[in-house]
Amino acid sequence: MPPTREPFRPQRLRLTELPNGAAGRVCELVGQVEVCQRLREMGVGESIIIERISGQGTLLCQVSNTRLALSEGAAQHIVVELIRSARP
Amino acid sequence: MALPSHIAAPPTASPAARAPVYALVGNPNCGKSTLFNALTGLKQKVGNYPGVTVEKKVGTTYSQHGQPITVIDLPGTYSLAARSPDEAVTRDVLLGRRSDTAQPDRVLCIVDAANLERNLYLVHQILDLGRPVIVVLNMMDLAVQAGLNIRVARLEKELGIPVIACEAVNGKGLVELRLAMSRPDLPLARHAWGVPAPIAPAVSEIAASLVENDLKLPLIARAEALLLLTDQDSVRVSGSVPLSARTTEILQSWQKRWAAEGTDWAGILVNSRYEAIGNLATEVVLRAGTVGPTASDKIDAVVTHPVWGWLVLGVVMTLLFVSIFTLAQAPMDWIGTHTALLADWVKGHMPAGDLRDLITDGAIGGVGSIVTFLPQIMILFFFIGLLESTGYMARAAFIMDRLMSRVGLNGKSFIPLLSSYACAIPGIMATRTIEDAKDRLVTILVAPLMSCSARLPVYLLMIAALLPNDRVSLVAKVGIMLLMYTLGTAGAFGFAWLFKRTLLKGAPPLMIMELPPYRLPGVRDVLLQMLERAGIFLRRAGTVILGISIVLWFLAAYPKAPAGATPTQQLAQSFAGRAGHALEPVIKPLGFDWQIGIGLISSFAAREVFVSTMGVVFNAESSEENTAPLRDALKAARWPDGRVLFTPLVCLSLMIFYVFAMQCMSTIAVVRRETNSWRWPLFQTLYMTGTAWILTFIVYQTGRALGF
Repeated sequence: MPPTREPFRPQRLRLTELPNGAAGRVCELVGQVEVCQRLREMGVGESIIIERISGQGTLLCQVSNTRLALSEGAAQHIVVELIRSARP
Repeated sequence: MALPSHIAAPPTASPAARAPVYALVGNPNCGKSTLFNALTGLKQKVGNYPGVTVEKKVGTTYSQHGQPITVIDLPGTYSLAARSPDEAVTRDVLLGRRSDTAQPDRVLCIVDAANLERNLYLVHQILDLGRPVIVVLNMMDLAVQAGLNIRVARLEKELGIPVIACEAVNGKGLVELRLAMSRPDLPLARHAWGVPAPIAPAVSEIAASLVENDLKLPLIARAEALLLLTDQDSVRVSGSVPLSARTTEILQSWQKRWAAEGTDWAGILVNSRYEAIGNLATEVVLRAGTVGPTASDKIDAVVTHPVWGWLVLGVVMTLLFVSIFTLAQAPMDWIGTHTALLADWVKGHMPAGDLRDLITDGAIGGVGSIVTFLPQIMILFFFIGLLESTGYMARAAFIMDRLMSRVGLNGKSFIPLLSSYACAIPGIMATRTIEDAKDRLVTILVAPLMSCSARLPVYLLMIAALLPNDRVSLVAKVGIMLLMYTLGTAGAFGFAWLFKRTLLKGAPPLMIMELPPYRLPGVRDVLLQMLERAGIFLRRAGTVILGISIVLWFLAAYPKAPAGATPTQQLAQSFAGRAGHALEPVIKPLGFDWQIGIGLISSFAAREVFVSTMGVVFNAESSEENTAPLRDALKAARWPDGRVLFTPLVCLSLMIFYVFAMQCMSTIAVVRRETNSWRWPLFQTLYMTGTAWILTFIVYQTGRALGF
């Protein structure tokens, strides 16, 4: 019997764990409902691509044409899957 | 070229028909204020929504036939699910929930063309309201720069309502917009949006209850029902009609049921709207490939850099303060001279007597003392407006957020605290953008600890008395001054930390803030905003100060001393003098005598009044700029037992007292307005003045023990 190949599972991580310069696709918003809702309303919903530009603690991110500042607490609500590593 | 159908339609309204009232709504940073100013020019009225500290801006523009059209500029918001008092007002006006403002007939939705999808979210909610809507696609130039080609005609066709492409900054598209606004009939949107199946029954039931129990119109009821489901913390502001008990009950029972099933109803609703918007956007927006880093990206690389960012912020802040204190000097002197001239003129034209003294010393002198600060406040607002309009302010808040979060505040508290260095009143007014009520309250409570410009004259006088030798290096004087500023700032941060851990315990601060692209500042908008703020400052502070000045004048003028008494003798035996004597046991442990006590009492109106009161008490003609004669008079002052009154230690103690004490009636009045209760301003006065007493006591007694 041929060996079954494990399906490709992209790495899931919090936005706070995403390195600066990397991009991820939002898979899930978790935590306080109000914060999740505000994030969705501001365009950070499931399946959106978010790029972490810079920052420690408070993050600077890009979501399509919008640049967002997210404090650590807010960024903790966003679970992404890595789609592009940090550019060298 | 044929005009689009909505523009070409002939006007058919009868002349008697009432001109429609438009509400102007949009996301923050979409150019809403610029469009409002471009439409209404100087025909604006700025007031307050009763009971809430949200500005109500109403302006008049004219139709193509010269008929006046009223435009209400509503606070910017990303969604009708409100998160701050400002956003709650927008929601309530649009839904017709406010008793003081009728529901607008039509809505002008301004949209940032470069961020179409996100901006359409609010439009999508507004289309639910069933009012005629005009969509204004602003910042088309930025959209082109971002490589986006927006098919305006297609969007218009899809939505079925007028869509006007516009660049409000250069006035492009305004003629077309005015024409569309002049139309007597506006079509309703083709807004066939199906509520997602899991929550559709709830929306129907809540909407039915809203019609039956809250007497809403069916169309509005559906929009409200949808909104109630996403109105998470439902910010209620006074002046808004509350929901009926029956509707609340239905809403809560649905929410309980979904919570038990694990249905994320709010998430489903938002995502479903975005799905509809996404479908629309694929029809309307053509992306011309990827563009490289924009100018904004390149500037951000420096301005938000962990090292360079701080450096830029430092330079900007230094420039701000240098300009506040240097550029304002000449107009401040001018105001000072002219209030004095006015007082002299009145003196020359009125017979001597109490009424004349009341007008010259009480009213003109008192109001003059606060108007003197107007130039500084105008420069401050000009700079803040400039920094906001270029997009830098949001970056400053981003850089400061990490530091502020250590004491439990977020980056948005930075602007109010910064403004408070000039004057706590605009600082406290600037807290309105802070979404979290507790964060806002903490910022209001600590803002007056930032050394405002009214403390400067006191610091200057005390430094002059402390270091009387003119040869003492400037560095020492500046050093003491900086020490006072640092003490105040440290106090503000320390108390913020304390309050966030005890009294106003809340979740760790969260900041979700959009950083708008950099733009050239709209000087006209900045100037308009500056004038508007200056007007508010004058009205608010002016009325309070006028009242207090008259009371203080009365306290210092009565009871009358026998004829021929000097001003010093008069003051000594007046109510104020007696109060000073009564206060002496409390302030003696701080090294202050009853004469300083009079200064503390009179400067409760405004801190800088301390200097002029000392002038009267010690009978020295002096001004705020030239403290030399008063300095010498202070040096000569003695306790009854012959000890020197103003020892260096007492001067230092007095400065420390002024760093912390809440010596400002206007601030108390503004805090009362902003918090809608007397509880917080009273608490603030007690904690600040209490801290001032304790710290001054420690410094003075320690100094004494060490032999100073």
